[in-house]
Amino acid sequence: MKTETVYDAIVVGSGMTGGWAAKELTEKGLKTLVLEAGRAIEPERDYVEHVPASEVKFRGMRDRSRMQENQPIQSLCYACDEWSAKFFVNDKENPYTTEPGKPFRWIRGRQVGGRSIVWGRQVYRWSDLDFEANLRQGIGIDWPIRYADLAPWYDHVEDFIGISGEALGLPQLPDSRFLPPMQLNCAEKVVRDAIAKNFRGERVLTIGRTAVLTRPHGGRAACHYCGPCERGCITRSYFSSVNATLPAAQMTGRMTLRPNSIVHSVTFDPGTRRATGVLVIDAKTRTTLEFKGKVIFLCASALESVRILFNSSTPELSNGLANSSGELGHNLMDHIKGGGATAVIPGNEDRITIGRRPNGIYVPRFRNLTTKHPGFIRGYGYEGGAHREGWERGVSQTGFGVEFKKLMRQPGQWRFSFLGYGECLPKHANYVELDKEKVDAWGVPVLKVHCVWGGNELAMRKDMSIAAAEMLVAAGARDIQPFIDDDPPGFSVHEMGTARMGRDPKTSVLNSYNQAHDVKNLFITDGGAMVSASCVNPSLTYMALTARACDYAVQQMKKGEL
Amino acid sequence: MDRREALQQLATAIALQMASPHLLAALRELRPLIGTQTGLRTLNSHQDATVTAIADLIIPRTETPGAADVGVNRFIDLILTEWYIDEERNRFLDGLADVDARAQAASGKKFVECSVDEQAEIMVTMGGQMIKEAEAIRKTSRGYRGSLPKPDKNFYYMMRSLTLTAYYTSEQGASKELGLEIIPDHPDACASWQEAREAKTR
Repeated sequence: MKTETVYDAIVVGSGMTGGWAAKELTEKGLKTLVLEAGRAIEPERDYVEHVPASEVKFRGMRDRSRMQENQPIQSLCYACDEWSAKFFVNDKENPYTTEPGKPFRWIRGRQVGGRSIVWGRQVYRWSDLDFEANLRQGIGIDWPIRYADLAPWYDHVEDFIGISGEALGLPQLPDSRFLPPMQLNCAEKVVRDAIAKNFRGERVLTIGRTAVLTRPHGGRAACHYCGPCERGCITRSYFSSVNATLPAAQMTGRMTLRPNSIVHSVTFDPGTRRATGVLVIDAKTRTTLEFKGKVIFLCASALESVRILFNSSTPELSNGLANSSGELGHNLMDHIKGGGATAVIPGNEDRITIGRRPNGIYVPRFRNLTTKHPGFIRGYGYEGGAHREGWERGVSQTGFGVEFKKLMRQPGQWRFSFLGYGECLPKHANYVELDKEKVDAWGVPVLKVHCVWGGNELAMRKDMSIAAAEMLVAAGARDIQPFIDDDPPGFSVHEMGTARMGRDPKTSVLNSYNQAHDVKNLFITDGGAMVSASCVNPSLTYMALTARACDYAVQQMKKGEL
Repeated sequence: MDRREALQQLATAIALQMASPHLLAALRELRPLIGTQTGLRTLNSHQDATVTAIADLIIPRTETPGAADVGVNRFIDLILTEWYIDEERNRFLDGLADVDARAQAASGKKFVECSVDEQAEIMVTMGGQMIKEAEAIRKTSRGYRGSLPKPDKNFYYMMRSLTLTAYYTSEQGASKELGLEIIPDHPDACASWQEAREAKTR
């Protein structure tokens, strides 16, 4: 079936970056079709953040057999629980492959809103320390942009989404335009003060910078501290595309949002060297549809967007569309995690927290800033935080009876954890390709992922554990337990780098405005565009890059350049 | 005679004394299945009574409901039926039988027939065994997080885990016992526990 409508723009994906592309393009006057592979989401029906454990069948223990059957990979993610499993894909319908002994965890959400419904909401700006690192160290290729290019777009995005946090004036972690910060709890203050005293400004503990409102903002309410944002938020207090950007796009009257639309490939006119639209498989009817658009934005995630381009191969472009560089699918990165430490913080036994703050602490990168670490280049930051142990501690105790019950009613010890997230280096050898043997439930060829941590990442993970323990020692903690877990790549759910930006079409897929070197009216603004990984959570940067690319695309369209 | 048939005959018998000796013998064999009359699918009535007794010893009724009041046994039966794999279910049921064996050895009675003191003694012994297993794990594992490692092959640990989960996630356990609110009145990162507790009981 063919449709005659030619949209000004087609956006593939409705999550973190698709929502932004939809908002920016429609607000700039473009008639925009937004295609989402998954189902529609209605907050009133689908959000479940206030459903207590007593009302779910397994009381939070998850539907184990069903998850093992349908979501063996997705359920490895903490957020894929008895409430939110519906916001993660069915692994049987959405397979991908890896080499034996080289696992990659691909955590995915196919529904309107994508993974922005379940994301961790931590938002940090990059700095020139990040943008210049590849050039300085001769790794990968240089970023074609610098902080100054992106700073106004960080402002633009932050003003809309609302970010709470504390300004620190650190060069390696530029401040955002903050709403009031959330509060540290008593034990976190103890650790913060000890770090300030013992590490003399080299290390700093602050409250997490989070896309959760601490006061009303843009028609959305302040957070009410119920806790589990990943189950939805009926007051729209945290940022997701469903909560903020898609409604804004809808308001323009220029968005057509089509759920259940699996984009198979981008159509290409070899004469004009332009993309003409997309081929879509209707997830329900399984019929193939074609949609035409003047400009195409791929915002389907670093791996899905690349999969679409590989599936767009023609006899002429046999290794995929927009891949004259041969870099498409390569340079896959994630953030390495699994290193940290936990301990008990003595004192403040008479204090508790009331409410569930959907946010933790953050320790900005401190390695390889002014001094050089002997074991690795670049660095990592810590997330984490403190809480008073609850009734769960009673399971492994021996007590029972009236006294035990009384004890469980009281809060337990203050337990503090540091969880490191480290920068991963871009490597050509970490890549995805089409698996010619396998298709998904809709007959679309799937990806084979080849990705392993390198020596630099592993050395960093070890240091995360040691440096965390050092800070806990300084804080007078008890029962300090450093740990090094064997988390494989993908598990930070920050996959990126597979369609990198760059100045040279021979070594990069996109130019400095996320525009494909080979196809002028094709943009990729999800994590695929990243040239390096930094150590901070990437979504804010994806969003800023998207808004910037939309602005550029519309300017170019007006000039008749696309 | 299968279970359905036995139940049917039982239901149609006007009184048990009218049932044939053959039926009664079959019913004795099918005792575990007859337990499903209580709505439970894995635990028979004796196992159910034992589970309920242990759970209520762990979390008794005080000024707030206890484990039995909130139906901890029903949740445990659900987990046994739909959540545990065969190996875990067998380990749990063997563990229950072992509780009776301990009671039998100590006082010549089934656990549920023992006095509270006798029962408590068995609980203490099982607790000691659980801690021993936890310590063994602590010594051999590379690292652990949280207060203690989890000896999750130990029956008493399994039982405690299910009991506490069922109780504290129940409506009564969460709201009445712990005073948890889904949406807190006044979020506070550093509140006085005493004041918060008093505010709730006021």
